[in-house]
Amino acid sequence: MSSFTLSVNGSTRTVDVAPDTPLLWVLRDRLDMRGTKFGCGRGFCGACTVHFDGVATRSCQTPVAGAVGHAITTIEGLGAGALHPLQQAWIDEDVPQCGYCQAGQLMTAAALLAKTPHPTDGEIVAALAGNLCRCATYVRIRRAVRRASNAMAGRTP
Amino acid sequence: MTAARTISRRRFFAISGTVAGGLVVAWSIPGCAATRSRRAFTPSGFVQIDPDGQITITAKNPDMGQGVKTSLPMYVAEELDADWASVRVVQADLNRDRYGGQGSGGSDNTPSEWQRLHEAGAIARALLVTAAAGRWGVDAAACETEPGFVVHRASEKRASFGSLATDAAQLPVPAKAPPLKDPSTYRLIGTGVRGVDVPAIVRGTPLYGIDVRIPGMLHAVIERCPVHGGRPAQVDSARALAVPGVRQVVTLTGLDNPTHLRPGVAVVADSTWAAEQGRKALAVTWDEGAGAAESSGHLLEQFRALEAGGGLKTIRTAGHVDSAWRAAATKVELTFQQPFLAHATLEPQNCTAHVRDGHCEIWGPLQMPTSGAPVIANAVGMPVEAVSIHITRLGGGFGRRLLSDYAAEAAVVSKLVAAPVQVIWSREDDIRHDYYRPAGFHHVRAGLDGRGSLSVWHHRLLTLSRNRYRQSTNGPEMTEIYGLLVPQSADPADTYDPDLVPTRIRNCRLEYGDFPTTVPTGAWRAPAHNFNAFVIESVLDELVHRGKVDPLMLRSGFLGDRPVIPKTDDASVQYDPRREQNVLRLALEKAGRQPLAMHWGRGWAAHYTFGSYAAVVAEVSVDGNRLAVERLVAALDVGLPVNPLTLEAQTQGGALDGLSAALFGEITIDRGRTVQSSFDGYRLLRNSEAPDVEVHITPSREKPMGYGEIALPPVAPAVANAIFRATGRRITRLPFAAAGFEIGAPRSYGL
Repeated sequence: MSSFTLSVNGSTRTVDVAPDTPLLWVLRDRLDMRGTKFGCGRGFCGACTVHFDGVATRSCQTPVAGAVGHAITTIEGLGAGALHPLQQAWIDEDVPQCGYCQAGQLMTAAALLAKTPHPTDGEIVAALAGNLCRCATYVRIRRAVRRASNAMAGRTP
Repeated sequence: MTAARTISRRRFFAISGTVAGGLVVAWSIPGCAATRSRRAFTPSGFVQIDPDGQITITAKNPDMGQGVKTSLPMYVAEELDADWASVRVVQADLNRDRYGGQGSGGSDNTPSEWQRLHEAGAIARALLVTAAAGRWGVDAAACETEPGFVVHRASEKRASFGSLATDAAQLPVPAKAPPLKDPSTYRLIGTGVRGVDVPAIVRGTPLYGIDVRIPGMLHAVIERCPVHGGRPAQVDSARALAVPGVRQVVTLTGLDNPTHLRPGVAVVADSTWAAEQGRKALAVTWDEGAGAAESSGHLLEQFRALEAGGGLKTIRTAGHVDSAWRAAATKVELTFQQPFLAHATLEPQNCTAHVRDGHCEIWGPLQMPTSGAPVIANAVGMPVEAVSIHITRLGGGFGRRLLSDYAAEAAVVSKLVAAPVQVIWSREDDIRHDYYRPAGFHHVRAGLDGRGSLSVWHHRLLTLSRNRYRQSTNGPEMTEIYGLLVPQSADPADTYDPDLVPTRIRNCRLEYGDFPTTVPTGAWRAPAHNFNAFVIESVLDELVHRGKVDPLMLRSGFLGDRPVIPKTDDASVQYDPRREQNVLRLALEKAGRQPLAMHWGRGWAAHYTFGSYAAVVAEVSVDGNRLAVERLVAALDVGLPVNPLTLEAQTQGGALDGLSAALFGEITIDRGRTVQSSFDGYRLLRNSEAPDVEVHITPSREKPMGYGEIALPPVAPAVANAIFRATGRRITRLPFAAAGFEIGAPRSYGL
């Protein structure tokens, strides 16, 4: 066991865990942040996606030791008080079915729009191709990303 | 809450107050006891109206994404004339006395909950109207409701539901349920209502079984024999126990029925990660059992041997299939191979249990809490009354969670370690130890006579049976023949299984055979329909092609033009071939008849599943070995559409789930072991591979039926038929990827 100090959603958190513990399990089992989901533990499904310094990252593939020094953002911190335009678009388009993958979908989409505010259809599906949705809500996910992109453009033309 | 005691004591609709002076209506199937004696009186839920106007409606059944946590409360709100914005929905716990049976399966919630939930809302509304009329000194019949208000137009009086709640709570229970609304006056049903959990989902709020946290809770993972049907022989836990955080290692012996509980070795620890590290350090010697001799590569040979050996069971037969086959002017003979499928719910199986003081408390994603409770009770040797279940949201179901084995595991481990425990499956556990869609083999001979009518249909189904696997006393064929064609009986006293399709085919025979297996099998979304539709619709397409007949004419010829299935368990639902024809016509019309480019093909299929009708048109492109599904057009008739927003979602998702399975879905077994273990080997459709799905709903006032499984069955045959049109190649073995296709992305996403 070792002590690690992490920056999560703007707060400093210290945990005492084995160094190889994936960030996913530190978030879920130690920091009680359960919005980030376990889907496969191999990086195949994207349910555990968080941001490292704004970049979409698989928390199940990141040992806690590797998370130190990065600004980590999880679904709980995505909206920073208010809803992120993507979260609002997800509500407006009624995207979730079972909903289990949607935190990961949102985090990936947020990283995309931060870097590419006006993505093409191809850029949207390319960015989200690694986030599996077992309910196959893909059609509405694409529409919601487009809607959020338009909404963000409307606010900051 | 006071309502609970009130209801279990008084076996009819019951009214009571809340501490804060609100109105609580709990209900049975009351008044109905006289007219529907088979169901007698089963209490089933409640609505609460607080003086501040807050309306709380209980969602009795589990939601796994199909939307019943939203759509069933809509029934209550509609008859109550509630303002949906003031409705809060809470998930019910398992409560036999208050809610009756609780579970979600067979797309049955939509029709089966209709009457009682509507009556509950109507009673609450009648009480509020009576209270208002009494307060104003007017005739109740002269009062009406607007969302959230009782109104007396003549005197221009209005009172909010909240302001009437305390008075209404003092009123006696109406002797019988008030008349229900005329559907033409619905304000809520038939409008698109967003999922009640969606705002919480997008914020990452803990909602799922895996998110449950109980004070003092330990985390457990279970190592199971890699060979299906095997069990631990020797366990050396010394190294596992040395892993920091690991508390105990306990052995599960399993139950005789493997769908209830399978054997394994549980590692219990302070955290999920520690439990997984402990598992890696386990040394277990397995008694592999007979399963080690089974490989899916042998199945085809086994099915063919079973067919050649004769002794198949004839399910239905009419006429003379052999002579009609010889005489047929157009003949099609095809065989089909049906692979095992995994469910792969994205939330892995998990459950949390606390067994103590003669009580077993469960928190988890149970799809069938009512039928799961006795399984859990049996596993821990307690009476079923000792089991209480808190139903969480389910991160997917697809049929996997019809079984409650993972809850039994949690209960047994909690009992053994005397602490609250969350059992969690890894993805590898989930893929390797699923209860798979049974593998099977179909052999069909079908022919047209000289006039182009379907004159012979001879279908042999050789399969594994989930009914046999689960040790059901019902026939092993009963779970595998859904949706297959059978001859209409000449005997009017005959009843049909509601999930068979009686036809006018003069020479028609359905034969069946299976054998036992150690490979676990279970229900997979649109069970049996999900492959049987592929077989039927592929053969029909081949007949259309070879016989050069009109596809709609061919169908109307053998399906007829009037309702024909007296459904044995609910006579009010009949298979109506006209409705199937209509959705196929609608899908074809919406897809259009414009010519496609070279190497493109358009195919279609229709199917009747659990009381609803769906047709799908698929357009594909085949460029060398690269197959892309470019577009799906779906048309549905589900009776009165309850929540069109969810219906559209279930159609998009169901169609793409069907596509995912058809393109990639295959579990293989090698010497008793499942070969695939995660999403690298067991591929799911990706966003980039998913075409747009256009959804068209037939307006209808017919009895509302479910729509969680309906769009799926026609997809695989529509794609196969499109590939045939593009290439002349008839694919009869799924998945398509196994036919050598590389799966590509559609050209457009229709955004």
